[in-house]
Amino acid sequence: MTSETMSGESASPESMTSAITLTAVTKTYSAASPAALQGVNLDILPGTSTAIVGPSGSGKSTILRIIAGLEDANGGRVRLAGRDVTTLLPEDRGIAMVFQRPLLFPHLTVLDNVAFADRAAGLSRAQARKRARKHLELVHMAEFGGRSPHSLSGGQQQRVAVARALAAKPSVLLLDEPFSALDSGLKGDMHAMIAEIREAVNPTILFVTHDRDEASAMAERIVVLENGQLLQHDTVDHVFHRPASLAVARLLGGKNAFEGTIENGVHHSGLGAVAIDADVEPGPATLVFRHEAVTSTLRQPTSGTDAAALATRHADAAACQRSGPRALHGIVTATVQRGPRREVIVRVADAEVHTEAAPGRPLAVGDLVTVSLPCEALWAVPRQ
Amino acid sequence: MTLSTSNVDMERAQREQRERRMPGDAGRPLSQSRGVMRTARIVSTVLVALWFALPFLPLVLWSFANSWSAPDVLPMSVGTDGLTAAIANGAVAAFGDSLLLSLIVAAIATPVGAMAARALSRHGLPFGRLVSVLLFSPVLLPPFAAVLGINVVLLRAWVPPEIGVILVLVVVAIPYTTFSMLVAYAAYDDGFDEAARTLGATSRFALWRIHLPLIAPALARSAFLAFLVGWSDYLVTLVVGGGQLVTLPLIIASSASGIGNESSVAVLSLSAVIPPLILLGLVSRARNLNPGRQS
Repeated sequence: MTSETMSGESASPESMTSAITLTAVTKTYSAASPAALQGVNLDILPGTSTAIVGPSGSGKSTILRIIAGLEDANGGRVRLAGRDVTTLLPEDRGIAMVFQRPLLFPHLTVLDNVAFADRAAGLSRAQARKRARKHLELVHMAEFGGRSPHSLSGGQQQRVAVARALAAKPSVLLLDEPFSALDSGLKGDMHAMIAEIREAVNPTILFVTHDRDEASAMAERIVVLENGQLLQHDTVDHVFHRPASLAVARLLGGKNAFEGTIENGVHHSGLGAVAIDADVEPGPATLVFRHEAVTSTLRQPTSGTDAAALATRHADAAACQRSGPRALHGIVTATVQRGPRREVIVRVADAEVHTEAAPGRPLAVGDLVTVSLPCEALWAVPRQ
Repeated sequence: MTLSTSNVDMERAQREQRERRMPGDAGRPLSQSRGVMRTARIVSTVLVALWFALPFLPLVLWSFANSWSAPDVLPMSVGTDGLTAAIANGAVAAFGDSLLLSLIVAAIATPVGAMAARALSRHGLPFGRLVSVLLFSPVLLPPFAAVLGINVVLLRAWVPPEIGVILVLVVVAIPYTTFSMLVAYAAYDDGFDEAARTLGATSRFALWRIHLPLIAPALARSAFLAFLVGWSDYLVTLVVGGGQLVTLPLIIASSASGIGNESSVAVLSLSAVIPPLILLGLVSRARNLNPGRQS
């Protein structure tokens, strides 16, 4: 079963059972502290890569440690590929874990570190080393086999740690903030390496990260966790653009949230009336959209009025697609440069909208701008 | 592209390795002494070295002195009379008994101390504070009173004297082994064991292949301390052993109380000093492989 997932022949119907299933998993470290995990249910399909994101202390690492068997859950079940492993020891679960620290065994060479899992499984030294060489090649560290771990850089050590974990032929590869100690350039290399590994051996990957960019670079699905509760488990796109709650939007760095009410598919708030395509219940709701999806452009005297007229005309149309994208007029109150991108904060009516500057002349404070809200970017979550 | 990244990585690693120096390392501005302080440092080093080494000079001279009386600066005749006398006094058997006793004490006290330290270093040990006070209490008790009291108990319990000596010395050694292992475990990263287990190693495999190799240098230091407790003991061997166990310190003491056998006492003393020195050399050569907690 484990070899199937590793060799990429995971398409057989039996192996399509979930790679990881958590049922009502609860964890409390001590009676005094709040529960680290509160009845978490999770289902991960084989061959997928899933990121767990959430603030510090949200229970991200605890989930991984419970799946790995390094912590006992106080309640609930853990199944790996349909097999109940709740009471099994870590070595009997068929998982492998890469930690934030590389934790390469300092008394073994790089090659023997990678050969460790096979040695533990009873293979001869020669066989284990032969297999280890292949795994070192997979992470582009073949020429470092004879070196001592402490002679490697942090990035190289983490590559070896990944190779060492893969050599255990895990049905599930768990990564606990594996690249958080690396600088951003090296992180990019690591993400490329993980992509290559997925192509080569297609393991099921579940990883913890506090980096939203890393989550979307390495995973197709994201699990959002806060205070030990699973808030959302969905595709990367949905988690960012269709958050289940305001908390999810905030945790993923959403900056635009406007409280208001929905009537006939139109959200009314300090921002004005905004038509939403999403099928949302009438009543109190918060309008959310990613600032990256909204652009500010310098207002052209003629087209500006047109856009405004257009917007007003369709203000209470039933859906965004029918009314066309909403354009808002405002004045720039602040700009923040973020790498190559420029975030522009625009005051529209009573509200402040975070937007991205459109390419062209840099916007400055006091500029009159048009903010265009694409229909796809708009979303409403129930007001809490 | 990845290849070139690896090369850049490697160069960076090598550079970091060269530059990885701690603030107190020799050659750093803050640890370099200058002028008067430099002279004072050298003079004090020489004085301390002399203080430690000088007592051994007469010992070495006496060992090979067949005769050496008051006004002469050096022995009058050199020979092996002292050695012969020492052997005749049972030095070889005593040396063997001392070695055996010390090794047994180290072999028991080291694993016990290591396990105690492991337990104490983990949070959540019930009555942890009480346990550590109990473990360290042998160091606090006045040895003479404790040994005499224990001897009565051991005699009443019909414990053979040799076993009694081992039992008591192990208890005396445990605080030292526990303390030195506590220091080691404070710097030990449990992550290594966790990594081993998640890679499929059983607890036994992880213990032998990962845990023990990583704490081996600390175990060696700890065993050395326990060895010294057995090697240098006089009181417990004398009182509890009741003459059944004749170790090197006992022979030295009885020889030293006599008159005219200075050279045999010197031979015995040297033979008592040399094994710990050899062990110390071996222990300090043990490479410290555990990089400690990684940040």
